[in-house]
Amino acid sequence: MLLSRVADSLYWGARYLERAEDTARLVRSYTELVIDLPTSALSTWEPLLAVAGGGDLFAKRESTIGELPIVRYLVSDQQNPGSIASSVESARENLRTTREIIPREAWQTVNDLYLYVGSNAAGGVERRSRARFLGHLIGECQQLDGVMTTVMNRDDAYELWRLGQSLERADMTTRVVGVRAATLLAAERDRADGRTVTDIHDDVQWMGLLRSVSALQMYQRATRGPIDGAAAVRFLLLDPTFPRSVASCATRIREALSRLPRSRRTLPAMEELERVLALSASGDGDGARLDAAMEDVQACLAAINDVVHEAFVRSSV
Amino acid sequence: MTMAHVRTDADTWDELVAPDGTPRDAAKALLEQLAALEHSELQERQTLAELDILTMGITFTVYSDGRGIDRAWPFDIIPRVIAASEWRDIEAGLKQRLRAINMFIDDLYHDQRIIADGVFPADLLEHSKNFRKECVGANPVHGVWAHISGSDLVRDADGTMYVLEDNLRVPSGVSYVLENRAISKRVFADLFAQQSILPVDSYTDELNRMLVSIAPDGITNPTIAVLTPGVYNSAYFEHSFLAQRLGAVLVEGADLVVGDDECVYMLTIGGRERVHVIYRRIDDEFLDPEVFRPDSTLGVAGLMRSWQAGKVAIANAPGAGVADDKVVYAWVPDIVRYYTNEEPLLANVPTYRCHYPNELAYVIDHIDELVVKPANESGGYGLLIGDRATRSELDAHIAMIEADPRNWVAQPILSLSTVPTICDGEIESRHVDLRPFILSGASSYVSAGGLTRVALRKGSLVVNSSQGGGSKDTWIVETD
Repeated sequence: MLLSRVADSLYWGARYLERAEDTARLVRSYTELVIDLPTSALSTWEPLLAVAGGGDLFAKRESTIGELPIVRYLVSDQQNPGSIASSVESARENLRTTREIIPREAWQTVNDLYLYVGSNAAGGVERRSRARFLGHLIGECQQLDGVMTTVMNRDDAYELWRLGQSLERADMTTRVVGVRAATLLAAERDRADGRTVTDIHDDVQWMGLLRSVSALQMYQRATRGPIDGAAAVRFLLLDPTFPRSVASCATRIREALSRLPRSRRTLPAMEELERVLALSASGDGDGARLDAAMEDVQACLAAINDVVHEAFVRSSV
Repeated sequence: MTMAHVRTDADTWDELVAPDGTPRDAAKALLEQLAALEHSELQERQTLAELDILTMGITFTVYSDGRGIDRAWPFDIIPRVIAASEWRDIEAGLKQRLRAINMFIDDLYHDQRIIADGVFPADLLEHSKNFRKECVGANPVHGVWAHISGSDLVRDADGTMYVLEDNLRVPSGVSYVLENRAISKRVFADLFAQQSILPVDSYTDELNRMLVSIAPDGITNPTIAVLTPGVYNSAYFEHSFLAQRLGAVLVEGADLVVGDDECVYMLTIGGRERVHVIYRRIDDEFLDPEVFRPDSTLGVAGLMRSWQAGKVAIANAPGAGVADDKVVYAWVPDIVRYYTNEEPLLANVPTYRCHYPNELAYVIDHIDELVVKPANESGGYGLLIGDRATRSELDAHIAMIEADPRNWVAQPILSLSTVPTICDGEIESRHVDLRPFILSGASSYVSAGGLTRVALRKGSLVVNSSQGGGSKDTWIVETD
């Protein structure tokens, strides 16, 4: 038996924590990428903003587009509901009311994380302290995941947690792929404007993107070849063995849904996601097509979110 | 530590040490151990206990700048000790008192025989803020209304134990009784091995048994829910704790609905599930926006209909608070005599009722010798201790009393008993009270001891945790 309100809190608690962790990975790897590339090649931080969404709000919050304003917006800005600081706070607010449900150590970890972010997020914006801050945050999130995996009963509450986590992770992976789309689009624009297209160091960029979902090492093990854009997109979207790929997330979403009561009404949305996902990798090499494909997958994920809310929260009223 | 450290004031009763400086019988083993401990060892045990409290997450919530902040629960390791022989008398007195109070409440909502017989004044009832006309004629199972109560006891200088007030609405603190014991057993493990100290853990079992016993429709395996106002309530820790120990579901008002069949259901991811017994931790006024405050978002629309139809049990029953009133309190000895034909086993503090002009006049003339209390506030708010107030504070209170005399009572200033307490590394006497918890259902049960609250400020009599109070474990010790 799981109260709908508690189910909602668990689901969103898991989503917000995953969002915080994934944003941290993204900012960390993008920072490394920028440091790696020669200054002439890539000096824009805008793709990062594009991944995280919310460009309009950013324009209201910051007057210049540059590394520090963008990183501040993504890491410590409490007015940005998608920032790491806001995500961690929202996760804690949701999980406060689930203390009878989640393992005691899990709540303590969330609470510690909240306190850590509260006193360190602002300091985590500067380049010299950024990696340490983000690394610590990612470590805490992984510790929490470890507690949930090893201690929590495999009941409805656990499935809701997995559901929220997998859905958010799938969404963030599509956004990372979206960075590729944005870069390609930028290059195309430059070409159309008749500007010289600088060497965009494709392989280095791809390494950075794979790293942002901790996929680089696994990609290399799985493909045993040089870094190739199309293969990397396929890996991030479709590889069944890599747990952060969208396909793996989709499998876990389906599993979680199948174990929850009254989930039959969620099946059509699930099948639509699988169908759209199977077609999604074909657009590589063409920025606009890839971008559109990721938007389609994101729309499917949003549809599952709605149907989950409908099935587990609203319909019991 | 030496016995000299636990010397006490001449005009107060110390719970552990007799006036001649020797240990009281029940506290002998404890004081011998304390005497054998170096000062630093004692302080170390206190520090370890506080660490335990932090890591176990035992908290209460205070409000500051509109935000609730979790604070670590304040606990002093030196327990309060009561001899089991004395405790048995107190227990019998509390059971007698609650039996009578429950009969009184049931009578008020039915025939009002006690008023017809001239024992309880009709005008008091007419002016009562806590009498709920919606409850008239209702028949809770076993005729019991106040299922869970916490009566505050204090001991005066001569050793007499008095009931200071009966908390019949949503008394809190019992979770801390259990947590304090868990910590105390670590601090003084050997003392628990050496002597017979009554266990407190059975409380939640007894609470469960009681809640099952009041289920409607003869259901023997009811679904029980603890109804909390939510995470920002100061007692949320306790609500969550009790739900876990009871195996009950912790619900908020928005989790419940009343169906067309007048049954109460909770909203789960699998659909609606019926709830049979609600242990509510919200006040009457918020229970049901259809009947009480229409702006309440904490309650459940239709809950009163369901309760009146006998489809759900609510503990404590709506309206039980009519007897939790510092004015009604003054009549409790008469109430005990009237319903039980017995003399009260536990003393009441003599109480002046400002409702009556002659008693009001006395209170105004003698306000500097009295404790003045509003009849319907909890948490110690509005309380004035006459001999510690300035003249302007006294005058301000007189004005408030004259504006609404029925809402005020006054009592002589009791000298609350003390227990040695660790204060900034030193052992000093601090005033305490005691809140035992009484369960009333098919039968009744009294917790073994209760929550000893201690006023941590020197000389202070205010023990509420919201106002700088702390707590101690309470040991009921067999002395044979």
